[in-house]
Amino acid sequence: MNETAPIISATDVHKTYRMGRVRVPVLKGVSLGIAPGEWVAVLGASGSGKSTLLHLLGGLDRPDKTDKKNGSARIEFEGRALGRMSRGELDRYRATRIGFVFQFYHLLPELRVLENVTVGAMVRHGRLGYTRHRKEIVNRASGLLEAFGLGHRLRHRPGELSGGERQRVAIARALINEPRVLLADEPTGNLDRATGESILDAIDDLRERLGLTIIMVTHDQHVAERAERVIRLEDGVIAANNAPPKKNILRT
Amino acid sequence: MYQALLTRKYLTTKIMPLLAIAAVTLSVATVLVTWSVMGGFLNTLLTSGRSMIGDVSIYWPNVGFPYYDELCERLEKDPRIKAACPIIESFGVIALPDDQVHGVMVKGIDGTRFARVTDYERTLWWRPLDRPMPKDTDRVDPRLGTDKGYFAGEDWAARLEAGLTLTEPDGSAAAVPGIELSGWNIRLPSGVYIPGAPQRPGRDGKARGINLFLPDGEITLHLMPLDKTGRGVEMVTRTVPVANEFHSGIYEADSQVVFVRFDLVQRMLNMDEAERIERPESPFVFNPKTGRLEEAHTEVIGVDPARATTVLVRAADGVPVHSEEDIEAFRGVCESIYAEFAADHAGEVPGSGSILVRSWRDMNRTMISAVEKETGLVLFVFGLVCFTTVFLVLAIFWSMVSEKTKDIGILRALGGSTAGITWLWLRYGGAVGAVGSGLGLLAAWIVVRNINEIHQWLGDNLGLVIWDPSVYYFFKIPSDMDWQKAVVVVAAGVGTCLFGAALPALRAGLMDPVRALRFE
Ligand SMILES: Nc1ncnc2c1ncn2[C@@H]1O[C@H](COP(=O)(O)OP(=O)(O)OP(=O)(O)O)[C@@H](O)[C@H]1O
Ligand SMILES: [Mg+2]
Repeated sequence: MNETAPIISATDVHKTYRMGRVRVPVLKGVSLGIAPGEWVAVLGASGSGKSTLLHLLGGLDRPDKTDKKNGSARIEFEGRALGRMSRGELDRYRATRIGFVFQFYHLLPELRVLENVTVGAMVRHGRLGYTRHRKEIVNRASGLLEAFGLGHRLRHRPGELSGGERQRVAIARALINEPRVLLADEPTGNLDRATGESILDAIDDLRERLGLTIIMVTHDQHVAERAERVIRLEDGVIAANNAPPKKNILRT
Repeated sequence: MYQALLTRKYLTTKIMPLLAIAAVTLSVATVLVTWSVMGGFLNTLLTSGRSMIGDVSIYWPNVGFPYYDELCERLEKDPRIKAACPIIESFGVIALPDDQVHGVMVKGIDGTRFARVTDYERTLWWRPLDRPMPKDTDRVDPRLGTDKGYFAGEDWAARLEAGLTLTEPDGSAAAVPGIELSGWNIRLPSGVYIPGAPQRPGRDGKARGINLFLPDGEITLHLMPLDKTGRGVEMVTRTVPVANEFHSGIYEADSQVVFVRFDLVQRMLNMDEAERIERPESPFVFNPKTGRLEEAHTEVIGVDPARATTVLVRAADGVPVHSEEDIEAFRGVCESIYAEFAADHAGEVPGSGSILVRSWRDMNRTMISAVEKETGLVLFVFGLVCFTTVFLVLAIFWSMVSEKTKDIGILRALGGSTAGITWLWLRYGGAVGAVGSGLGLLAAWIVVRNINEIHQWLGDNLGLVIWDPSVYYFFKIPSDMDWQKAVVVVAAGVGTCLFGAALPALRAGLMDPVRALRFE
């Protein structure tokens, strides 16, 4: 762990899904702390609970209620417990502090590329705020898209873009509100190596320039290599929490 | 903000909302057309119901009451009253030239005065016509002028004048029966009457076809005068030329009423001014001078004034008489004027407590209550349509929410709140309702405005006759849009959509965002 106070931390977090009478425990006491500006890769087998962890950290879902077993369980953002936040506060937390990027892009198919990016700002600001900052927001959105090499596709619909282009639009959308933390769920999982690399370059660049904290779920060792730290989920707990595997390790 | 953007996008890029809009458009248009046309139809019916009876009638049946002209003058002095006129109503029997005998309602009228109180002049059928009736495509109407056959060179203006004055060119009093009364007029599908009758039994029991124009003939009128005690005395019979025929649109009137010039009816019924005479006890008296029995002289001891059974009153233009309250107020005016009149003629005319003062609404009660029932029925159907549309919209929105589950998850991940997402879908429902209702209103307006043309087209091309003027007695389907109703229906259309969208919207808002994102 870093010496600096973590921007986001989880302590003994449990998550159990219920399907009828069957209880599916997924996370069984996950603890981690992530420093501001850090790039962390989350590795783990399929079904190990990586997406679940991201959803919990992003305030999209809540962990299991605390009981005797996990009395001190909580997720904190800059020292504030998400569990103490009201629904409205959680909504604002997602709108202002967090940017989500998903494996399958999740763009709104009816909106054009530019609108898909500005919609994040619309959700955040509401009608009045958006109208007031409209120019600024549109400029930032087109700036981001430009930086991702999509400056000439602003008026296209997602259906007319390639996978890599779509994912870049999704990243631009996640960044439109200048979040502190980017939660990326296999952002390159559906892309070829070269495209994936270019996207990772873009993210890395942003991290350096904006001091963005990045938590990125991946299956891919090559992707994990680029992170400063790798967290491995196994059996619902963190099995390894260390520096990224070096290339020589990979070859073995 | 994103709600507005997405509403617009969803509306313009999806098929589903178009289906919902179409459903709303159809419902709104159907209800509006039905309601407007039905309302217009009932209104026309009510207006025709008023056309022959004025606004208020002051009525004392059988022997009638005297000084009616003075009463009319008193009434007409009031600025709220446009005109008043006396009439005599009595049952009678007529015989037609083909020996048909009918029991009828005889109304003695002074045509020109009667026309100021009622729409009498407008109802006279045989008159000059410069344009064919709306559905008379074959121009078979003889009133349009023809140079061949029976009506070659007919002077329709003179006919109209004769009908209005109930006077033949030679000055004799004439009659104007309803157009359906004689059975000598054939009503064409276009609503036009032409003279000519089906075969009917003659007096000898053999079938006869009559092809005669009644206004060129005469009728025999039998009336039963009453004595002062109201008992019938001997029938009085006169042969009266027919001047014209009237068509009010109310079948009962058109088949049962005969107008006859006022003075003739008055004389036949012994209601004209008469000397009051005193007969001695025995018809013969002994004359002491001559020593013989001589015929006794009757002595004139006074004058019995002329009488009428009814005075009809028409409200001045601008005095409202349509609604129940308005007509009641106006009836009160007439009643109080009669009360003054009765006070000045105490003992000679019926007291103000016993005279019958009735409004046009009183006299058309059955029809009005039918009208009100019809309106209730329309509203019931309207409710049913709304109900159906609610479910339709609900079903469509439910499936649209399902289809858009992923979008909902994304928006939640971007920070959208439960309320925000609910509002998105409610707003969307409202937009569908507004667009659908707007289009429905437009469609209804176009249909209602052109309903007669559309109907004509249907008849010409598909042989479809929904509105048969020979059934409904109007030539045109009323084609006025009632904007008050339009506002109600459009509001109901939007409300229906909001209502139908409410449940799916709530479902969308309450959706678990993580599940929504995992949705495939
Ligand atoms: N709503 C749910 N109800 C029941 N079980 C669920 C639900 N969501 C997830 N799970 C289960 O929880 C486990 C963890 O899911 P999660 O999506 O977090 O895995 P993951 O590590 O992201 O896997 P992958 O690498 O395939 O994306 C899985 O076994 C999944 O079946
Ligand atoms: Mg996953």
